[in-house]
This record gives sequence, structure tokens and C-alpha cells, in this order.
Amino acid sequence: METLNDTDWDVLIVGTGLKQSLLALALSRSGKRVLHIDKNHYYGGAEAAFSLQEAEDWLKKVAEDIILNQTYTNISILQPSQEHSGTDASKLSFSRAYNLSLSPQIIYARSSLLPILVSSKVHRQLDFLAVGSWWVYSAKDGPNDTPGSEPSADRANSSQGKLVKVPSGREDIFADPSLDFKAKRALVKFLRFIVEFEDQPEVWEEHREKPFPVFLSEQFNFPAALQDPVISLTLSPSVPSRITTEFALRRIARHLRSIGMFGPGFGSVVPKWGGLSEISQVACRAGAVGGAVYVLGKGLVNPESINAPKYRPTGDTQKPSELKAYLQDGEAITTRWIVGLRNDLEPFYAQQHSNLEKHPDPGNSSTVCKSITIVSSALEPLFPALAEGAPQPAGAVVVFPSGSLALGEGSDQGEEIPPVYLLIHSGDTGECPTGQSVLYASVALGNERGFVLLEQAVKLLLRAINTEPTSTILWSLRYKQHTRIRPHWQSVSRENPSTSRQILEFSPSPPDLAFDDSTLDEVKESWQKILGDEAGEFMVFDDREGMGTDLDDNE
Amino acid sequence: MVADSGAASGPKPSSSVKLVLLGEAAVGKSSLVMRFVNNDFQENKEPTIGAAFLTQKCNLPTRTIKFEIWDTAGQERFASLAPMYYRNAQAALVVYDITKAASLTKAQHWVAELQRQASPGIVIALVGNKSDLAASPNNSGSSSSGGSGGALSDASTAGDDGDAASSTAVGDGDDGDEDEEGEGGDARKVATKVAKAYADEEGLLFFETSAKTGLNVAEVFTAIANAIPETSLKGPRGVGGQTHLGGGRQEDAARVNLTGGRDAAGPKEGCAC
Repeated sequence: METLNDTDWDVLIVGTGLKQSLLALALSRSGKRVLHIDKNHYYGGAEAAFSLQEAEDWLKKVAEDIILNQTYTNISILQPSQEHSGTDASKLSFSRAYNLSLSPQIIYARSSLLPILVSSKVHRQLDFLAVGSWWVYSAKDGPNDTPGSEPSADRANSSQGKLVKVPSGREDIFADPSLDFKAKRALVKFLRFIVEFEDQPEVWEEHREKPFPVFLSEQFNFPAALQDPVISLTLSPSVPSRITTEFALRRIARHLRSIGMFGPGFGSVVPKWGGLSEISQVACRAGAVGGAVYVLGKGLVNPESINAPKYRPTGDTQKPSELKAYLQDGEAITTRWIVGLRNDLEPFYAQQHSNLEKHPDPGNSSTVCKSITIVSSALEPLFPALAEGAPQPAGAVVVFPSGSLALGEGSDQGEEIPPVYLLIHSGDTGECPTGQSVLYASVALGNERGFVLLEQAVKLLLRAINTEPTSTILWSLRYKQHTRIRPHWQSVSRENPSTSRQILEFSPSPPDLAFDDSTLDEVKESWQKILGDEAGEFMVFDDREGMGTDLDDNE
Repeated sequence: MVADSGAASGPKPSSSVKLVLLGEAAVGKSSLVMRFVNNDFQENKEPTIGAAFLTQKCNLPTRTIKFEIWDTAGQERFASLAPMYYRNAQAALVVYDITKAASLTKAQHWVAELQRQASPGIVIALVGNKSDLAASPNNSGSSSSGGSGGALSDASTAGDDGDAASSTAVGDGDDGDEDEEGEGGDARKVATKVAKAYADEEGLLFFETSAKTGLNVAEVFTAIANAIPETSLKGPRGVGGQTHLGGGRQEDAARVNLTGGRDAAGPKEGCAC
């Protein structure tokens, strides 16, 4: 078995999350000697996708781990007892029929991620599916357009809310019977404004930092009933009163400008087979084709914790630009650059602790409660055909606006409850078998009440879509995701001045519901630092030789 | 492979098949693929650095199979094979070296791994490579279905290359020092019937090949192509029970094409207003 320490590595990438993997992709044609490691036995880091068994293993592993500042905590799995009758879809399938994403995100058509996947040619190994309709849950009475439900059934159960489709364009607005003329005018006026809102500062500048709902009422006479659908397009985890106008306008413009990019009627996509995890793996794969060496199940360690002989620079053996890093089994490797998330680099900092000031903690963390629910129905009413020539949507978004859910007794009456978001994925995503769906729910609450809200939202959603037979929950996972907040990504500059420039720290991925393009800025910046003048065009690669070889076969 | 539907040869239906290549270092994995794809063989080939991705068509009487071959090439050294290397693969070629007994053990580990992790319907072919190093029909003769018999009768001897030392250079030459004793021109260490019996037990296709002479190489891929069930060709990668019966996965109605129409549909037309 060869060892890792007989190579002088140029770059050590720690962790196989999306950012690290995209960096591996960016470096894949650079000729750099790249060692890419992950302490986990799976790819994807915080963006991993799991089968049922892997989710169980993950739960146990995290529970046993003593690492501080974990990204995920409070994990539990619930598997209701199963009825052994009915169709296949009504039963939980085998473990690997599922690829459940820990960090599901939609990717807007205008995201700069997609052109990068195309120019680097890795899109050929990925499948993308459309995220179709957006729905807002409404507990109020009103004209019934709950998909798939009978009007009478709706009236019979007064406690049952309904799902209102968010109009995705002018035709939608005009065709919507629930909107009166005034509402339609307000909406159309707003949509016309937002396309080029940057050019009309007079309309919104003075509201820039003010709450968005106030802006909508004052500037566009928005009826209250229309605010929720429009605000839902921001995907903001906050209560509306805390969403600033500028933030909301940028987010809504991002949504609307993406519609139609890759086909009529939809503006965002999801990668098949488990979301961002699949992009990570494809990117790592490209890194491997470029010569990077991949080692799973091996992270960085502090040599003192494993009794490894501590390396002391003598000046003879270590070039000034070299860093020494210790891997899990005590192996010491030399490298010029180390890149990774702070959590993964922690042992490296600890290793230098004796002669360096302890690296200060970067600050507070924000917490989000999340759940993944597998249900026994395809929830077809949520995936109406988009338009002629459009792909069949595989994703849908359901928003329970702030105020549509209640925590019941014991909760603070005056407290505003943040919105609950659900990303619904059909079997087409490869995340569950055909005939079932996966519901990814999240709410920006850090305490246990977050889970109560998620559970409520899932139940209300299933009740609002009267499927036949009734949809049941086959399996669910819930967890908290913690994101340590850092003002802006930066290389660690306060440590050993001679080498600290060579340690590049990625910020943890935020629990956003849509892919954030700033992710790529970090990757690009680190790529530039590592390659310096050699850096060409970011992620623009020619076809490799051997790709697309189309010789006739030699039978 | 995203947008080239229908570009294939004539009216025959064409399907892509993802095939992964597994096996110990230096058993000749890359050489097998080079023989299949380019009909070429390199003596003293350098170890494959990184991984590779190659495609090759295989024409069957009723359809064309386009193999997407994922050469793991060394990535398996550090337990780093991604699920996506073999997830959704419809076929796997697990290679061992008939001159190294340990390589069959390793191959068996891979078979077990595939049976545990890969798609349930995956077609696995067990291939004993470097049959040119076997002297003569040795301890077998019973092989039939896999066509390994040919490997034995046709085997060129290591003597062609002179002494036993040169025989170690045949194949990948990865990792340098493999100790082969030569044994009078027959370097075989794995009896055909042993490997064949194992393959039968596990329901694997079985061949002995020589990437050097080309013996049985095309046959392996043809046999795999024939063994891929028609049904698994219709849905994307044979997983998840797609409802489309049109043909290859190019026609998946849910798939979004990232490259077509990007310029055609400008921001304004596409936008809500």
C-alpha cells in the first residue's frame, strides 16, 4: 500500500462539501498535486445525501461524536409502524431507494453555478430537474382552488386550509379567479416594476432598510391577501416585518428573472439523485480524473491527541513555504496550501496552539430546525404541468407564511412565528421511489418548538391535498442545523505570518433554500490564490481526450 | 450525452449504459478499456493517474449500446470510491490478474461491495486478465458460458517476451514490484475453474481475457451489453421506475437541458413581465 507522505502535495483540501469539491474541480486541470480528504466515509460533508441506512449511521455517529460546534445536532428518526397492505408506494422501500439531502437547495436558472458546470463540462454527468409551482398555505376561508380537492370537502372541514398557487407571470394573474381587479392591477404593476427595479431608485430607495410589507402597501397598495405569495418568493426565513425592502426586491427579482431561462414556466432546478451532494461527487470525480488523490474516512488531527511525534521545524527539512499536517492515522504530510471549513481545520490550529495564539471563535451561530419526511403519495396536485414544451416538474415549494401556524398553549402570544418552508421532491429526483415524495421542511427557530411547527406544516399540507388513498408518513428525520456566522470569508491572517496566507478557510454553507452564488466567490478566490498567475479562466475547460470517443466498436 | 439524442447510428435504438471498472491496481483495468475503446495496448503502461471517463459504442443486432466507462483507476486505493462511481451503474467489470491470487480475493470484495451498494439489477462481469501469461490449458476446460475457454487455447506464452521478469511488465505495471516466479513460462496462479465456480455461484458473467492480445476483450463488452435487461435501458439508469417508454434516457421528460436555449430565451422573454 502506498503512503500519502511520499508526495509533496501542493494543495490539501479538507472535506468534500460543495465548496471544497468545486475547488477540486477548479484545480483539476492545473497540474497541482491535490490531496482531497474527508473525515467521513461519504462525500458531500454538510451537503451529503443519505440512504435510510446511511441516515441511521449518521445519527449514531453524530451522537457519539464529541466534536464541538457540529453543524448538525438533535437528530432523530421516526418510522411509524407500517401497514403491510396496499401498493408498493404505500410502504417504505429498501434503504438505497432513497437519497435524502441534508441540505436541499434549489438552484435558480440565473445562478452562476450552472454556467460553471457547463463550461467545466461536468454537467454531462448531472441531470437537472425543474422546480415547478410555488404554493402558499392559507388557513383562511376563500375561493377554493386547493389542488385536487373537492370544493364540498373543503367546506365540510372548516379547519382545513388550502394551498394557493403563486402566480408565476401575467397570464397566471389574469387567469386567477381569486384575484379581484384591484389586486390584479397591484400585482401587475409590481411585477412590471421589479423587472428593472434597480433603475427606479425613486420608488424604493427610501424604503431600502424598511420592512418590505410596508413598502408593498405604501407604494403598490398591495392587498394584505397578496402579500404572503409575493413575500414567499424571497425564501426569507425571517418574519415579514424583519425583511428589508432591498433584500426582498433582490430576491424576488432573482426569482422572476430566472423564469423561462431553461424552458417555459419554471425558474429553478434541482440536481437529480440527492441535490448538491451529486454536484460534489461529480466535481470530486473531475478532480480525480485530473490526478487528485481521494481519501475518505481520514481527517486532520492534532498530533498531540494521537501521540504522534510533534513536528518541529528545523529549517533544514522543511521549506519555508511548507505546511505539515497530520492525518487521522498519524501520517504526516507536507503541503503548500490547506483549504477547508473551519470545523475541519480546527485540529490543524490546535496543532499550532503551543506556539500560536488560540484562534478566536468567529462568533455566534444561527440555528434552523429541519425535517425530511417520506410520504406514501406522489402528491401529484402539487406538480401540475407547467406549459407546453416544459419539462415535467419534479420539485415544488410550499410556504406556510408567518402567522399561518400557531404554537398553541404556552407560547408567547405576541411572538411572531417565522415562516415554514417545504421543498417537495417527486420520485423523478431519484430521492425516493416513484409514487412517493420527499418533503424537506425548515424553519428558522432554534428550539424544540421549531420541530412542532414542522410537524404541523407537514400534517396540514397532507390534509390540504386530499389524495386517494390518504397520504401517510412512512419515515421522517429531523435535525438542527447550526451555522456559525462570520462576516465574510477570509483567510486566517492572524496566525503564523509566514504560512498563514496558505491556509484558506471556507465559511460554512448557510441553511438557505436556494443556492447562494457567493459560495462560488469563495471558491474562485481560493483558486486564484493557489494558482496565482497560472490561473486562467475560472472553470473553463476543453473536452478531455478520450471523452466522446466515437469510434465504431471493434467487435 | 445530454443533447445528442437521435444522433446515433440509423434507426436502431441507442441506449447509454454506465459501466464501472473495478479491481486491484495493476491487473490491467485501463489496458482492457484501451483495448476495447482504441484497440490499442501499451507495454509498461504507467499507472493510471486519477480516474478516466471513456465512451464506446457496441452494436448489437437489435440495438446500439453506448458504454460510458468509468475507470476508477487508483481511486479505490484509499477507500474513496464515491457512491456515484457505482450508483446507477448498470454494469460493472471486476478485474483480477490470473497471475496474482490475491487479486481475485480483492475482486471478490468488490463484487460484495457492488452487491451491497449498487443498483439491484447491475450486471457484473468477473474478468481474469493477462491470460496471455498462462502457458496452456491448465486446470480447466470446463468453462463454457463465459467463453473463457478461448482464453486458454489461444493464450500466448510469456516466453514470447523472453524471461519471466519481462512478464511482470505486461499489463498496467502499476505499483512496480509484483513478484512473479515465472514457473517455466506459466505464471498462472488462479485456476480458471476456481474463478468460474465463484462467478457461477454469484451469478456473474465470467471471462478470461488478454488486453495484450485482445483475446476476449470485445466479447466481454458484448456479453455485458446483451445481459443488460431491456427494461433497465428504458428508464434513466434503470432506477426509480420511470414511466417513459420512448427509449434512451435522453428522452426523460423531466430533464432540464442546461445548454439548449440558453441564449435563445433572453431575460425579457422569459421573465414574468
